[in-house]
Amino acid sequence: MIKTIIIKELQNNLYSLRFHISFLLCIVIFAVGTIAFLKNQDAKMQEYSKYRAEFRNELKETAESNAGKLAVNRRAFIWRPRANAFISDCKENYFPNRFIYSAYNVYGFELGPGGTNPFLSTFQELNWSFIVSVVLSFTVLLFTFDTISGEKETGALALTLSNSIPRATVLLGKYISAIITTMVMAIFGIVLSILIVLFSHKVDFTSAVLMETLVFLLLIFLFLSCTAAIGTLSSVIAHKSNVGLLISLTFWLVFVVIIPNTAIFWANKIFSIEHADIISRKIYAAQEEHKKSAPPGSASSSDENPFMPEHKLRADLETKLNDAEISIKNAYYQDMFRQLERTRLVSLISPIALFDYMNEAVVGGGYARFKKVWSDLHGYQVQFLQFFKTIDAADPDSPHWYNPWYDYSTTKKPVDFEQVPLFEEKPLSFAARFSFLRNYLVVMILYIGVVFSLTLVLFLRYDVR
Amino acid sequence: MIWKIAKKEFLLNLVSSRFVIGFLLCLFLIPFTVTVNIDDYDSRMRVYRVDKANAENSLKYVRVYSYLRPEVVKPPQPLSIFCQGISGNVGNRVKIWLGEKPLFATGKAAIRDNPLLNSFFSIDFVGIIAIVMSLLALIFTYDACTREKEEGTLKLQLSNSLGRYKILLGKVLGVYLTLLPIVLFCYILSTILILHSPNISFSAGDWGRIILLFFASLLYFTVFVFIGLLISTRLKSSITSIIVCLFFWVFFVFIVPNLAVYMAESLKKVQSYDNLQYVLQDLDKEFQNRCDEYYKTLEPPDWGMNWNHSSDLYGGRILAGCSSSKMEHWRKKYVFSVPLRIDYADKKWNLQKSYLDSLDEQRNFAEMISLISPSEVFRLVSASLCRTDVASHYRFMDRVRRYRDEFIDFLRDRNIFSSFIYFTPQPQETFMTADEFISIRTGGECKNLKELNEWRDAHGGSFMKILRKVEIPGTTYSEYPFLDLSDVPVFRLQSENLLAGLKQVFLKKVAGLIIVSVVFFYLSFLSFLRYDVR
Repeated sequence: MIKTIIIKELQNNLYSLRFHISFLLCIVIFAVGTIAFLKNQDAKMQEYSKYRAEFRNELKETAESNAGKLAVNRRAFIWRPRANAFISDCKENYFPNRFIYSAYNVYGFELGPGGTNPFLSTFQELNWSFIVSVVLSFTVLLFTFDTISGEKETGALALTLSNSIPRATVLLGKYISAIITTMVMAIFGIVLSILIVLFSHKVDFTSAVLMETLVFLLLIFLFLSCTAAIGTLSSVIAHKSNVGLLISLTFWLVFVVIIPNTAIFWANKIFSIEHADIISRKIYAAQEEHKKSAPPGSASSSDENPFMPEHKLRADLETKLNDAEISIKNAYYQDMFRQLERTRLVSLISPIALFDYMNEAVVGGGYARFKKVWSDLHGYQVQFLQFFKTIDAADPDSPHWYNPWYDYSTTKKPVDFEQVPLFEEKPLSFAARFSFLRNYLVVMILYIGVVFSLTLVLFLRYDVR
Repeated sequence: MIWKIAKKEFLLNLVSSRFVIGFLLCLFLIPFTVTVNIDDYDSRMRVYRVDKANAENSLKYVRVYSYLRPEVVKPPQPLSIFCQGISGNVGNRVKIWLGEKPLFATGKAAIRDNPLLNSFFSIDFVGIIAIVMSLLALIFTYDACTREKEEGTLKLQLSNSLGRYKILLGKVLGVYLTLLPIVLFCYILSTILILHSPNISFSAGDWGRIILLFFASLLYFTVFVFIGLLISTRLKSSITSIIVCLFFWVFFVFIVPNLAVYMAESLKKVQSYDNLQYVLQDLDKEFQNRCDEYYKTLEPPDWGMNWNHSSDLYGGRILAGCSSSKMEHWRKKYVFSVPLRIDYADKKWNLQKSYLDSLDEQRNFAEMISLISPSEVFRLVSASLCRTDVASHYRFMDRVRRYRDEFIDFLRDRNIFSSFIYFTPQPQETFMTADEFISIRTGGECKNLKELNEWRDAHGGSFMKILRKVEIPGTTYSEYPFLDLSDVPVFRLQSENLLAGLKQVFLKKVAGLIIVSVVFFYLSFLSFLRYDVR
């Protein structure tokens, strides 16, 4: 019986105006978004390659003139434009886009001016994730807002239920057909997008991307199931289809607009962290303490004589200053991570936010990528320092007094650039992605279960007269 | 008769569930959004006060002009509570450097202490009005004709000697009577919240702009009222009409804003900021090479020792206790390098300007595409009214660049670059020769540089110990007072009158909204005249 209901509903849906309009809109946005992505990606990659070439040149010049400078100079690692960003950009343009490090430490991350054009308003790229979370979530609500209340108005529901069909079967049939209808749009759009990508030859559609696409399709199914459950719930709450529509739209506005756009407010109110200027003052105070207790001569230096005894005092002092800065900053960064993670937990009320976070795991982007780079860069820094210490140990003209700021008392000899370890970003492993995804996946399934169960309970008591 | 129809429509709307839900939506969203934005304004105000105090303090503790870098701190715009525009993307601080013209303001991260939170967007009052008012306008008009047709009352009405235009005007008036109190309520509620906030003070001009914003909101929802009306007069069933209306709404409000910016990013290429920095670094290297070439032509000082010394990468240097010939050596260096540094800032500016132009071109392109959406036009008009648009930012940055020129002229007029005070607070009459310095500081143990070097070679490579034997008053810069900077030009924000910077907005965007409204109304009217009521 359920099959008959699904087929009937599917026929109704597929021949409806709302399907035609939404299908057209969806396909056009998928096509335009993918074409725009390919052009954008091409330009971004050209700029990035240019940047990396300049970066390597500068590194090579420094290495071939002075290994000490190579170690103390602070550099920024900027992450490469992701080739699978047509699935989801994970708002990476708005994430801190540069990680500052030297051989001695990873100093922090910044949101530099190089991210996006500051004169443009903040926006979301027209990738698959955006289309699904905004357009298809809206479309699925349009297919479900009157699924019960609309049939009640026309009297068809009373007629259907006068037969010996369990209400749960009717509800499930309508629910599944709404999901299938929107999934059809998503699949058509994604196939079109993949074809554009394949024919452009600008981005490699590797087996890894294919795998990501399949997992993404699974997530779309879950997400649309969740949104369809909310639309059906609206329809069951209301006794008139126009009220059902208003309730659905209110839910949608709250999930798409209100919750994601007020997260900063909640972050600052509920999970507040110390202000940046207070942290700067703390660092200043801690460093001043070290400066006051430093023996005389700790600020002296000479470019000519590395073995000047004051260089050891200076190296000790500056190591202490550096450590003081880093210990306060690292604690602050941990607060930042906690603040973001807790705020994300609050925003999980919105299935759209939940879907966005799950996408990060699928494509290996956003916060999941950020944390991976942050952690890998710390590992690289240890390796880089070890490399420098080995070079320095081999130099008889170096007193080996490591100073994180200056090269006064370490080797100034050139080093072969080919030997210098370079930081290369590694993609997130599938295990790491699954671990990031797992909790969100459980929440999403629970969400669907709770909303659909509520809808079912309400529908069992629904007055069809 | 028109009034009677309007009254009937109004009363019908008033008891409808859409009015209740719409009103409740505004009742919840508006105070919440305004509260969030007041909170955001308060935190920006806090950051502004901290930055301002830091900027003022940094000027208090300057002993030489080479370290004098005034910092301009822009206060947050109170009207940003209504519309944030680009104020969240651009910073609030600009430091004045001799070696570079101000390109961007910095300090953005300070507003949000955690830069990771930038991955969350924020919404302002205008954003909510743009979303909710357009939705309500469509929800109240989508069935203006179709519902009455479905119920058969339209046929009944038209069977009387009643002009169709009267029915249409009556319906429009009815929607206005329903929605106007909601819009008014939103503004009154926001005003009450703002008046109760102790940290916000609006000038008369600001209140004037809020009134203009109110009228812009009315104009905006008028456009959507007529879009809804047109769709209703073109379609036969209410359900089809609402579906079409909602797709238009999603397209205009959610897709076009993102589409416009994304297309602009894809089609209008901009050089990356990091690559621009590499090009600028090349100019810095060229500048340094020219300086080094010149320095080689100078006679070396008798003793290269910088006794009490601090410097930075941007030409800042403070010295005390050096030999007179070393001081003169530095003076000659600065006489050459500072004007050259300023010239190179102009050279760099040519590149920076073309970068800025490309950003602006990209923005213009995005703006051009976004003009197809009334919500985007409304947002642009609102940003101009709230002084948070790009033009206001450009005016501020232009003013800062002019201030930098004034500051440089001030230093030039006083021959600061060629005087010792540029890099040392030590009066010229207290300068000593190297031998005098060495002799006094070593307590006569070394009479000159040759003896000092011999002593160093015999005592482990450092002469600092012997040079600390006898202190010479006035040879450390911390002994000198800070500069009196009371005559240095101060940056002042120019107060703008009510209509400043709005001419283009009124001429283009507001006029565009009016024309679009008239066109949609005319089309609705024509369509309704031909409407088949059977």
